[in-house]
Amino acid sequence: MKKILCATRGGEASQKTQDAVIAMAKETGATILFLYVVDVEFLRLTARGVRPDVVSAEMEHMGEFLLALACERAAAQGVEAEACLRHGSLVEALESAAREEGADAIAFGRPAGPDSSFALADLEALAAQIEEDIGIESYIL
Amino acid sequence: MLKRIVMVTRSHPRVLLILLMLALALGPGIGRSALARQQDSPSGLNVEEAGLSGRVVDPLGEPVHDAEVTALANDDTEPIAHSASQFDGTFLINLPRAQYDSMVLHIERPHFQPTDLELDAAALGQLNECGSVQFSEISLERHITSGFWVATLSFALVLGLIALEKLHKTTAALLGAALVLGVSFVGGALDPSLFIFDFEIALEYVDFDVIFLVMGMMIVIAVIEETGIFQWMAYQAYRLSRGKLWLLVTILIVITAVASALLDNVTTMLLMAPITIQIALTLGLNPIALLMPEVLASNVGGISTLIGTPTNILIGSYAGLGFNDFLFNLTPGVVAALVVLTIYIVLRYRKQYAEAGGNLSDAMRERLKERGRITQPEKLRKAGIIFAFMLVLFITGDSFHLVPAVTAILGAVAMLLWVSPDIEEMMQVVDWTTLMFFIALFIAVGALQEVGLISYIAMGIGNLVGDNLLAATLILVWSAAVLSGLIDNIPFAATMLPVVGYLTRTIPGAESNVLWFALSIGAAMGGNSTLIGSSPNLVTAGIAERAGYRMTYIEFLKVGLPATIITVIVGTVWLLIRF
Repeated sequence: MKKILCATRGGEASQKTQDAVIAMAKETGATILFLYVVDVEFLRLTARGVRPDVVSAEMEHMGEFLLALACERAAAQGVEAEACLRHGSLVEALESAAREEGADAIAFGRPAGPDSSFALADLEALAAQIEEDIGIESYIL
Repeated sequence: MLKRIVMVTRSHPRVLLILLMLALALGPGIGRSALARQQDSPSGLNVEEAGLSGRVVDPLGEPVHDAEVTALANDDTEPIAHSASQFDGTFLINLPRAQYDSMVLHIERPHFQPTDLELDAAALGQLNECGSVQFSEISLERHITSGFWVATLSFALVLGLIALEKLHKTTAALLGAALVLGVSFVGGALDPSLFIFDFEIALEYVDFDVIFLVMGMMIVIAVIEETGIFQWMAYQAYRLSRGKLWLLVTILIVITAVASALLDNVTTMLLMAPITIQIALTLGLNPIALLMPEVLASNVGGISTLIGTPTNILIGSYAGLGFNDFLFNLTPGVVAALVVLTIYIVLRYRKQYAEAGGNLSDAMRERLKERGRITQPEKLRKAGIIFAFMLVLFITGDSFHLVPAVTAILGAVAMLLWVSPDIEEMMQVVDWTTLMFFIALFIAVGALQEVGLISYIAMGIGNLVGDNLLAATLILVWSAAVLSGLIDNIPFAATMLPVVGYLTRTIPGAESNVLWFALSIGAAMGGNSTLIGSSPNLVTAGIAERAGYRMTYIEFLKVGLPATIITVIVGTVWLLIRF
């Protein structure tokens, strides 16, 4: 295993996933590619004049900050990590990043509890779908 | 020339839409003025004619337009003359000059009981002698038709679809407008009791002051928001607080409240939230502990100006309240509410603030600093000058009858001419979806007014409170606060406008406009009680989730509901002191 792709955000659950993937990379000697997906779909919740381009740029900045935090976390444990930022849906972003950046594994964080964005079953289905689409092994950590 | 216009409108469909909206906005106004002039003058009577005039009103005292008024003379069943009431409810019937033995005035309009008024001997004598008789106000009784239920159920459907997020709120409002218009035209042809209103009358309910004010402010805000001013302010709060979290929260609350009052609370939160999250992470703090005070302050701060919240824009336009009315009557109450809110937040999050401790690298701090800078200083300078002039016009405009919508349009055009001359880009930043939401909502609420539901609600509340202004104020503030947490506060406020108008006219002392301010405070502060209570709450939760921090409904309720209760108490106390 040379490069592990890991979609991340910045919360407590994401940090646990980051720690797990860092440990996995350390064990296998792989590098990590942290991915942040910019998604401004929440703008549909407001019927007020907003500029998606300006909001999207702000979300990019926030994503870059969160990715830099994740990379620093990995570096602190002696693991090399890179950052990658994409727009759109999570599945498409994961698949395109994995293909273009040459990842040979994808790591997902296990849902932290009832408040998690994903249910475990949904995440397993997602991992299976990506494995089927691009033939890269997925891990739920 | 025609070819040229066609070419322009083909290449710029949005320009065509604006021209159409201008025509709609100006057209009825011009027509109405001409008709009003005709009605105002008794000399409109030909010397060879006699005339009957008067004013038709509904049970709330609101003018009834388009009522068909016919005159029947000498026990004949065939009318000798007829007319229709104008927008202000007045009518004038020209009669052939003759000696009349009897005269009956028959008034008919959908959703009202047909009314017959027989001229008594004295009035008849006056008519035969002087040629004209003027009636005092003629009040028509309401009549519940099938159209009443169609309009009521359509509006309930709109509210339900928005609350349950089954449809986008614009789609839901358009569905409501389409239902009432469709049933009026198609159903009304089959069964007249299904008729609600025709298209012309439906358009008269659209408040173009609101549409143009919202559109103008969208362009102004769109220019300002890309300059980096919001991010710079948030970073300055971080820098000035030097790690003291109570101070950081206080500054962020002030910044968010002021920005929300002067610009827009959704934009403020959309641009402040991402950098606030970065600041929180730099300080080793859960971002929710900074985002919650900001979002609560954004909902409270907007109350102090006419342009701060959509509900204030609606209230200001309907009640004729200007920028200064909100500024001077509500700002002290808003400041008091923000002080109490800040104390509550610092106490509520004291544990998190005490435990915070960041150990980020210098590189990360430098990255944050880079994000917190003004990105377009020249654009900000120009936009700032224009916005300052706009504020002067908003504040002084009342004295020379400059309506806020015109100030907003002037500001928007100045931005287009001096700051961002790319008309295509600026037209793209106008959120036509929002403008359509308002237009469709006005039609859906207009249907409720037309069929009389609003009258029944107004009279019900009027009977409940009687002449008691205190009771009316308390009921309005607190019912608005509770309902705004459960349903969208824009349709709610739009529905309540005629109700509050009636109460303001009928309750002694309410001419101070206290009830309008009660609605403003309740509708805006109530939005803080639940996650779905206002748009800033929802977009902030969306951004927090993208950073990996979930703002759940229950978590929001735990902080937001007490905040709502204490700020509404402060707001209510302020209203009681001020009025």
